[in-house]
Amino acid sequence: MRQILATMTCAFGLAGLAAPSLAATRYPLTITNCGQPVTFQKAPAKIVSIGQGMTEVLFSLGLADKITGTAVWVGPVLPQYAEANSKIKRLADNDPSFESVVGQEPDLVAAEFEWHVGAQGSVGKREQFADLGINTYLAPADCVAKVNTDGGDGVRKELFTMDLIYQEIAELSEIFDVKERGDALIAQLKRREADAVASISGASGKNLPVVFWFSSKDVNGDAFIAGKNSAPAYILKTIGARNVVTTEEEWPLVGWETIAEANPQVIVIATMDRRRYAADDPKVKVDFLENDPVTRELHAVRNKHFVMMDAQSMNPTIRTIDGIETLANGIKSFGLSQ
Amino acid sequence: MSAISARKQGWWALAALTVAAFLFLGLMVSLAVSIGEIAIPLATTAEAVLNRLFGTDFELSRIHQGIVWDYRLSRALVAASAGASLSLCGAILQALLRNPLAEPYVLGISAGASTGAVCVMILGFGYGVLGLSSGAFIGAVIAFLLVGFLATGVGGTGERIILCGVAGSQLFNALTSYVVTTSANAEQARGILFWLLGSLSGVRWPDVYLSVPIALIGFIICMAHVRALDAFAFGTDAAASLGISVRRVQIVLFGTTAAMTASVVSMVGSIGFVGLVIPHAARFLVGPAHGRLLPATALGGAIFMVGADIVSRIIIPQQILPIGVVTALFGAPAFAVILYRVRRSA
Amino acid sequence: MSIRIDKVSFAAGDTVIVNGVSLAVEKGKVLGLLGPNGSGKSSLLRLICRLRKARSGFIRLGEDDISSLSRADLARRVAFVEQQSATDTQLTVRDVVRLGRTPHRGLLSSWGAADDAAVEEALLRVGMRERAGQLWQTLSGGERQRVHIARSLAQSPSELLLDEPTNHLDIQHQLDILSLISKLGITSVVALHDLNLAAMFCDSLAVLEKGEVVASGAPEDVLTEDMIGRVFGVRAHVQKSAVHGRHHIQYVID
Repeated sequence: MRQILATMTCAFGLAGLAAPSLAATRYPLTITNCGQPVTFQKAPAKIVSIGQGMTEVLFSLGLADKITGTAVWVGPVLPQYAEANSKIKRLADNDPSFESVVGQEPDLVAAEFEWHVGAQGSVGKREQFADLGINTYLAPADCVAKVNTDGGDGVRKELFTMDLIYQEIAELSEIFDVKERGDALIAQLKRREADAVASISGASGKNLPVVFWFSSKDVNGDAFIAGKNSAPAYILKTIGARNVVTTEEEWPLVGWETIAEANPQVIVIATMDRRRYAADDPKVKVDFLENDPVTRELHAVRNKHFVMMDAQSMNPTIRTIDGIETLANGIKSFGLSQ
Repeated sequence: MSAISARKQGWWALAALTVAAFLFLGLMVSLAVSIGEIAIPLATTAEAVLNRLFGTDFELSRIHQGIVWDYRLSRALVAASAGASLSLCGAILQALLRNPLAEPYVLGISAGASTGAVCVMILGFGYGVLGLSSGAFIGAVIAFLLVGFLATGVGGTGERIILCGVAGSQLFNALTSYVVTTSANAEQARGILFWLLGSLSGVRWPDVYLSVPIALIGFIICMAHVRALDAFAFGTDAAASLGISVRRVQIVLFGTTAAMTASVVSMVGSIGFVGLVIPHAARFLVGPAHGRLLPATALGGAIFMVGADIVSRIIIPQQILPIGVVTALFGAPAFAVILYRVRRSA
Repeated sequence: MSIRIDKVSFAAGDTVIVNGVSLAVEKGKVLGLLGPNGSGKSSLLRLICRLRKARSGFIRLGEDDISSLSRADLARRVAFVEQQSATDTQLTVRDVVRLGRTPHRGLLSSWGAADDAAVEEALLRVGMRERAGQLWQTLSGGERQRVHIARSLAQSPSELLLDEPTNHLDIQHQLDILSLISKLGITSVVALHDLNLAAMFCDSLAVLEKGEVVASGAPEDVLTEDMIGRVFGVRAHVQKSAVHGRHHIQYVID
């Protein structure tokens, strides 16, 4: 009797073990990432993550303990990951060197931007890492329908959508065999996006003209404005507003004559910790808008329709969802959502 | 005809040419005010100017009013005065250094300005107290003083001074590259490139109040030294034997050109070719006597710069080409043509 | 005005170039400066018009010590013609000669008849009047030299300093220029290489060797075979010429 019970327990146990393994990743796994096939023999154990957006996705998937080094930080990490992040070695605030990355002996290098790891990568080419047996994974948001050959922010040929981020999450969770976490994260983000859109349901179709002002090298001069297919453009499309800029460059330099002519109803102003240009400071941007003889006549400025948004939400990352929420709240508060 | 009446005829011709040049400059400024990123009807432009100049009361959009008066007119005036300053400096340096290839940046000023600018822009030096322009100005002055120090140490012939300027420029350019490659990301590197090529986009009326007086005062100081400039034709010893206090004149004129150039560069970036080509064009038109050359150079520089600004804004639709690219694109062939004509006539 | 040079010394760095030179030139007379290369002739001339500063000693023009005169005052009296002087500027002959009027023209004074007259006369005297409109760059070496001399004449100087003015000239112009200078009646100091020309046209001579005066006085007293051998290292035979009455030096070659 005891023998039968033991066998049945073993059988149930085995069945129980078998059930979750149906959703588990089957290795070796080959995925096509930015036009190149990348093969994983097993879940990577040591990652170097280049790009704050990429790093925060990895944190969100609970993979902090596998990260041995990070680089390229635009601002402070999302607060919920601050503690985990403090234990991880930061290789550089800006571009790390190739040697410092491989010195960590990673089996995966994950990069947010092709200009760090790519054909003209400042850190290295994908082949250079492959020669050393290191896999590379690039964020789909930076290579799908995006041309990065000019060395600048690049030109986006198709509108960015959050699907590219969801693709990144899905692929990463498959690589690391954490599919449930990936699915849960995607579901959560999608719900937040839907909630934000619903909160200003009246505004869709309103076609509000909006401009996203990142910064300017000289506050009086031409401004870095979000292009037609950038992450901010996606924010606007989701909400139903209209980007006044029509170039496909990611962050084109636009003159104030052009912006003034478009007479935006809402101006989204980037906030950031960096103070490299005087115009990085949102207060400086608002000062300019309110005092310049042309911009102070703009609809958005006369009615003080300014939305302060963290600059990182303007990048194609999971924080774009924050951006949608911030802008939606702003539009609602201006009473423009009826 | 006698020498006196020939000179009188020359005077009338010169006067006519001067008036024509001023009228042409006025025309160019008007063009610059009427043309821009967005199309504003000519009538509206005229009304906007009249409203602000004479207090008339035409009805027009305040945005258009602001664009015409505060953006475009101030920009045109700064372009004119910057062009005049740069070409004047080029003429002075060509005389002092006795070298036809001398131009305002030969003493390291533009290189120093770019180093100052990147230190503020990328390393964040002095931010809170210093803006980009101040950083550039300080960098320019430091570079000039260093080159001057070096030049007095090695003996003051034209060639030696130019070599010191080359050394200084290389040093500061290397510093700029170092800062850019080690500390800048792609976006900042692109921003620096645009600045180095010169840009009039951020110009407003306060810049006019700086740029125009600097050009005028510089012009007056230079004109006060026309005899000395002519006397330098055969070198410093010949000038001294003709009664010129060489040291004093050099200090005043080098200092004036440095101040003018540093101001222009810190306001609008380094715009090339103007200081090199316009003096030669002016010399070709009115001859080498500085009493005529300096006014011709100043006017020519003003006209050229305003023209270059107009071109930079319309040559590629919906995009602004850095003005330094335009001046080089048009300046280089113009220079070649001038050299060729001079060669034929000599 | 006469010129008096009193124990003047000049050094460049550690090298002494002029060492305790004392000379005098009477009013209206021509002093010829002779000496091998590197003897300090050019530097001495530059000291007289204060293009270089003497380390010790005095130089007087008439009653005035040159160190007490302003540069402009000095330029109104003393004209200096360098050995070689070039320019890239497209100046005409007339433009160059007009430069000579610079010390007499204030900033706001316009060009006057006196200026015109000085320029025209200077051009006439060096024989370049017909070529006054020609560009400097198209002139030969000798022609350029003559234009420089015209420029110095246009300065209306009372003292004239010339550093080897006949270097590039053909024989006719050598004789013309030196004859001109000797007849001008302006106190002049001329540095020369040609001993015979010096004998023919100068009222007095001074010989420099290694920055010091080794002989000075009337040409017949200075130009001795002994001195020529000692200073110039060549053998010569000196005798009074039957043609022009001055001393004539014939060089002896082995």
